[in-house]
Amino acid sequence: MKKTFVPIKDKCGEIVEFIMSTPEMPAQEDLLFKIRLSVEEVVENVVQYAYANGDGFLGVETETDGNGLLTITLTDAGKPFDPLAKDDPDITLSAEERQIGGLGIFLTKQMMDEVRYKYENGCNILTLKKQCS
Amino acid sequence: MKVTINKEENKYNVILEGRLDTTNANQFQEDIAPLMEGANPDITLDCTAMEYTSSQGLRMFLMLQKSVNARSGKMVMTNMKPQVKEVFDITGFSNIIKIL
Repeated sequence: MKKTFVPIKDKCGEIVEFIMSTPEMPAQEDLLFKIRLSVEEVVENVVQYAYANGDGFLGVETETDGNGLLTITLTDAGKPFDPLAKDDPDITLSAEERQIGGLGIFLTKQMMDEVRYKYENGCNILTLKKQCS
Repeated sequence: MKVTINKEENKYNVILEGRLDTTNANQFQEDIAPLMEGANPDITLDCTAMEYTSSQGLRMFLMLQKSVNARSGKMVMTNMKPQVKEVFDITGFSNIIKIL
């Protein structure tokens, strides 16, 4: 399934629900939980930060291949931002030392089998992959 | 996310129900404001009916834990569903928040 959302301000919930309701989603609850968590983190990132001045579009696409590999692709034309460039948070620190941010993309990387980013033709393209069978 | 706070002196029994995500994290922050004040708080968060938390929710729990530590209090989360617990494990939050 493919859909482009514009504008996207305050639309995080709606976009996540669309992705989670596409026919490509698996039936298993534990997988759905992991996919939803990941999708919410990355969609929220785009909605909050991609278009600092004004608004723009977010394209979403869900696909599965014959072997149950789910691919979710997010495309936006906001400012170039590689969420994977950030170091992972140090999860061994105490509560006092822990920073408040940086958890979302880390969780996404842990929950998905593969997360890739590229910047192409003026667009941020983020791809999430999860084996669902 | 529905938050029910039962308070007896410095003891708080808090029932968390539903999903904590980007759409309601701000509301949750307001709902738990009573837990952010008072000396030596003794807080139990009953997570039996907590279905989900995103990283925004984790941030709220970290903020609360820091506040509790600063006031020489204690906090514990109980009966967490396995898939929610996994989120706390992966992010190392299980090491900084007591989960029973």
